[in-house]
Amino acid sequence: MRGITKAWPGVIANNGVNLTVRAGEVHALVGENGAGKSTLMNILYGLIHPDAGEILINGTHARITGARGAIAHGIGMVHQHFMLIPVFSVGENVMLGREPVTGGAFYDHARARKEIEALTQRYGLALDPDARTGDLPVGLQQRVEIVKVLYRGANILILDEPTGVLTPQESIELFGVLRDLVKAGKTIIFISHKLREVLEISDRITVMRRGKVVGHLVTKETNEQEIATLMVGREVLLRVEKKPAEPGPVTFRVENLTASSDRGVPALRGVSFELRQGEILGIAGVEGNGQSELVEVLAGTRRATGGRVLLGDRDVTAFDARMERDSGIAHIPEDRRGTGLVLAYSIADNLVLGRQRAPAFSWHGMLLRTSAIKAWAKRLVKEFDIRAGGIDVLARTLSGGNQQKIIVAREMGNRPRVLLAAQPTRGVDIGAIEFIHRRLVAERDEGTAVLLVSAELEEIRSLSDRIAVFYEGRIVSIEPADTPEERLGLLMTGGGSGTRTGAA
Amino acid sequence: MTVIGDILHLLTTADLWQAALAASVLLLLPALGGVISERSGVVNIAMEGMMLTGAFFGVVADLAWHNVWLATLVAIVAGGAMALIHAVVSIRFRADQIVSGIAINIFAAGMTVFLVRRIYGVQDIGHVGPSELLPNLSIPILDQIPFVGQVLFQQNVVVYIALFLLVLVQVVLFRTRIGLRIRAVGEHPHAADTAGINVYWIRYGAVITSGLLSGLAGAFLAIGISNTFVPNMTDGRGYIALAAMIFGKWTPLGAFLACLIFGLGEAIYANNSTIHVSQYLLSMLPYILVLVVLTGVIGRSNPPAADGIPYVPGAE
Amino acid sequence: MATSSVSAAGPRTPRIPEPLRRLTRGLAVPVGSVLFAFVVGGLIVAGTGGDPVVAYQGLVCGGLGILCSGGENSALQISNTIIFVTPLLMAGVAVALPFRAGLFNIGAEGQYLAGAVACTAIGVKFSTLPAPILLPMVLLGGMAAGAFWAGIAGVLKATTGAHEVVTTIMLNYVAQWLVRYLIIGGPLELPGGFSVSSPIGPGAQLATILPNDNHRILFGLPSSVYRIHVGLFIALAAVAVFAFLLWRTPLGYEIRAVGQSQRAARYAGVSVRRTIIVTMLIAGAFAGLAGAVQIAGVDHNLTDIYFSDTTGFDAIAVALLGLGSGVGIVLASILFGALHAGGSVMQADAGISSSLVLVLQALILFSIGANFLSAIKVRLPAIGRSRSTPPAAIAAAATATEATGAPPEKDTS
Repeated sequence: MRGITKAWPGVIANNGVNLTVRAGEVHALVGENGAGKSTLMNILYGLIHPDAGEILINGTHARITGARGAIAHGIGMVHQHFMLIPVFSVGENVMLGREPVTGGAFYDHARARKEIEALTQRYGLALDPDARTGDLPVGLQQRVEIVKVLYRGANILILDEPTGVLTPQESIELFGVLRDLVKAGKTIIFISHKLREVLEISDRITVMRRGKVVGHLVTKETNEQEIATLMVGREVLLRVEKKPAEPGPVTFRVENLTASSDRGVPALRGVSFELRQGEILGIAGVEGNGQSELVEVLAGTRRATGGRVLLGDRDVTAFDARMERDSGIAHIPEDRRGTGLVLAYSIADNLVLGRQRAPAFSWHGMLLRTSAIKAWAKRLVKEFDIRAGGIDVLARTLSGGNQQKIIVAREMGNRPRVLLAAQPTRGVDIGAIEFIHRRLVAERDEGTAVLLVSAELEEIRSLSDRIAVFYEGRIVSIEPADTPEERLGLLMTGGGSGTRTGAA
Repeated sequence: MTVIGDILHLLTTADLWQAALAASVLLLLPALGGVISERSGVVNIAMEGMMLTGAFFGVVADLAWHNVWLATLVAIVAGGAMALIHAVVSIRFRADQIVSGIAINIFAAGMTVFLVRRIYGVQDIGHVGPSELLPNLSIPILDQIPFVGQVLFQQNVVVYIALFLLVLVQVVLFRTRIGLRIRAVGEHPHAADTAGINVYWIRYGAVITSGLLSGLAGAFLAIGISNTFVPNMTDGRGYIALAAMIFGKWTPLGAFLACLIFGLGEAIYANNSTIHVSQYLLSMLPYILVLVVLTGVIGRSNPPAADGIPYVPGAE
Repeated sequence: MATSSVSAAGPRTPRIPEPLRRLTRGLAVPVGSVLFAFVVGGLIVAGTGGDPVVAYQGLVCGGLGILCSGGENSALQISNTIIFVTPLLMAGVAVALPFRAGLFNIGAEGQYLAGAVACTAIGVKFSTLPAPILLPMVLLGGMAAGAFWAGIAGVLKATTGAHEVVTTIMLNYVAQWLVRYLIIGGPLELPGGFSVSSPIGPGAQLATILPNDNHRILFGLPSSVYRIHVGLFIALAAVAVFAFLLWRTPLGYEIRAVGQSQRAARYAGVSVRRTIIVTMLIAGAFAGLAGAVQIAGVDHNLTDIYFSDTTGFDAIAVALLGLGSGVGIVLASILFGALHAGGSVMQADAGISSSLVLVLQALILFSIGANFLSAIKVRLPAIGRSRSTPPAAIAAAATATEATGAPPEKDTS
């Protein structure tokens, strides 16, 4: 791609971008959020029309208009948010748009099945053509996307943040698949902001920042620090500096907690741990092992089916979200846009979300104290450096990092006793990640008991004072903070013998 | 109570079931339309208005040209025209689909009365002659079967058409390629778009089809069962058809089952002279039946995932 | 409260004062819709051989008391309009409040009738009680009946997820038949079989604003002809209560949160089910109050006028045109009240069926509907923004790496 330029009103997404990808390589496209990587790939895939620039494939000029055009040129895209229909079978999803027919109009199930089996065998991707797509684990759903793309004859595959939704195990499997595809002659473009994976899987790297290309790197010859610096434009702190913790008395105790998931399946099978003032307890584990449910029960949005939760000496097991909050338990939810914020509300309104009936913000629960709310909002915006035009700006117009800061500000602003932080930096740009990490440590130093749940093992290891490893609804071990990654990885996938602290 | 006894006695007569089937067809046609439209992702509560429009233009055409088949065609097209308005407002202009649907219903109610005044002045619109109504058709031999014969094989021609359409829509929606695409568009239009399917065409087609079906129902009502146009003669049937669709979990066969239940309610009301209770109380029966049925819909039935959300390409 | 898109660095706009700019932007969509409707309506009249000018003249005369050519008394026309406006204000609130919670209350008509029935029943049964007791009784009874009628749909929605559009419409029909049942040979009928109800006691009647006196001449007619009543003040107070409730109370905050994002509301400790039910109850109370006020203030008994009443349906247009705000509801009620009153004059003078008013209403709904979502959910829309694919959406897709894959908000219906 040469000289690609694309501008929207007010922002230049791509500014004279040059990208060269060699056949049969895995090329990583790296950058912060808003750097322009997705725009560039959408242009390559024909979804967006560039203002200037050209695309050459195998030396010949290519005009790509629309997804169909891209497919015709052998380009296939596996989107970050899958383009799959959950209620359809795998076969139907793969075939959509190019369905085999019999008798003129009837969908030919049998032929679809045969063709998919041929494909999956050829590339080593095991899939059941009749499975209901929505029931498959995320890693397999992604495979359906890949098969879809291969079915249409793609030679160049674009993968947009593919590991964002995968467990570490599934990521390893994906990389295996990618290597097989490369061996079979495919070319892969891999968009990511996860530097470790980029270093592991790619051959060459292009780094973008604010719409421009700022670096071409050869993977073997570079390292995380160099890439991060290029991405952000300055030295980036990859590890939080913190002094050792000075934990106080136990303030939060969970005893033998059990709960079910949305599907009615047991998600927590007897979880027990203690949390002290002034420490960060990190919950490590592959997503889907019950951590989400744990946080929900502790925050009061999910009912426990057994066990106890004690705050100090009060039994708070049956408290609902409002009571939890009133007792001093703050909650940063993992889904910021859907749960943590009302996007249509202003920053000020969002900063009191959950406390709209609290005495500080309402008169006997009947009348809102608007001036108190405004003062509160102004203070928090300043303290947490939320970049916006004012406290009345709507939350939906803000970047992900600023949105997350609102949630963090709100939850920390009330001097909570316990802070439940679930995936606090997911999808947030590096600058904001730094900020949030520093604030979490600051909270800890002020004496708050922090429970940190994260799918990013790095984050857990960097921030936690102790690490509890979750597997299949139980804590399999509580490890010290400097435990090597390999051991944690082993525990996370059910292996190894941990110190079985509190497992029922 | 004698009321219950009256109703039970009524239920043993073939006349009642014959009327029930006819009444259910009047609901089935718009319900099929609703299923198709919503399967493609467009909420359509305008069946009421489309039916009314079809009824009106069917009567006007029949009075003018004395040809019931032509008049039925006019009615069908009129329903489709109303649907086209809904489609354009909902798809092209991305209006809120419920508001648009209600607007169509109000528009139809107003326009039909307005046009009656314009065309016929202050006089009555008049009645269609008995020879110019949609005919009843008796299937030879089969109609001689006791009870069942009268119920199933001595019906209006539209009833047979509707039952055929029922099977047709069920098959097309779930076994053909086009049905797969329609459902894809209704579940995840973005995915369908990236697979190369034209979301807009499919949605327009689905909505217009629902209009055609509702128009046919209007014709059946005005120049089949009745023989004239009365303002608001559809009496909420379009909405009842909606409830049938929801109850049937957006499948034609399921909707038909609900239509049968509601049709039964209507037939009972029509025979109110034999039941010893105020006709006004009895008139509530179909509507209360819907409420009861809807509460019994076990669990939250799931509409197509993208139902009611206008498609904005490129936005995620 | 300015909205500013963080990423847009547009050219500097001229220094129009902010409140005025907000006002024009806020009014642009509704005013545009009304104009659109009148233009298309005029075309329809012309297209079917009528004279739009005469038709609209009749409308304006009947609605606003101006441009009258047939000798109508302006004051009387205005008075009639105000009479139509009064219940619309309250019914408009009854539709607008649930909108904020993400609910479509199409059942305002049924709730209105329920209120009217309750008012009549209480007013007849206790007709001998004096005003300070009976009047509050009938009004509160009306509110309770309306709340109950709406509550049925609310409970059904909250517990079984039954879509409130269908349930409230069914309840409308049930209410309509109930009214017929009650006064045609039914328990409320005036003895003698006139198909009207007995009148409510004098204690239940709302006083007229102008003296009810045949001999006093005001604006050219005996004063008793002007039937505007103190219910107007009740109605205006209702709108004020609505606005206050929505924007100044924690309950209103929670209602709006439920309407925007049920998950966020739950996270905030709000019980979504309870909020839905409470919202419908309050809405039904407003609509029921409208019905009660209409009986107490104007008709004093239940008559066959109520068979073909459309207040609850007009209220939908009022709520939408008014963009769900208090001021908007007042303005929209005036418009639709005027149209309603004007319709009969138009029919008498110009020979155009008053159903044209319905057509106009539908046209307004069409054009509002096209902008509705942006008007309520994203305050202060820019004109024309909803038509093209908003660049912000594509830019958001381009920075899709930020999104955590949360699916778009949608009502779980």
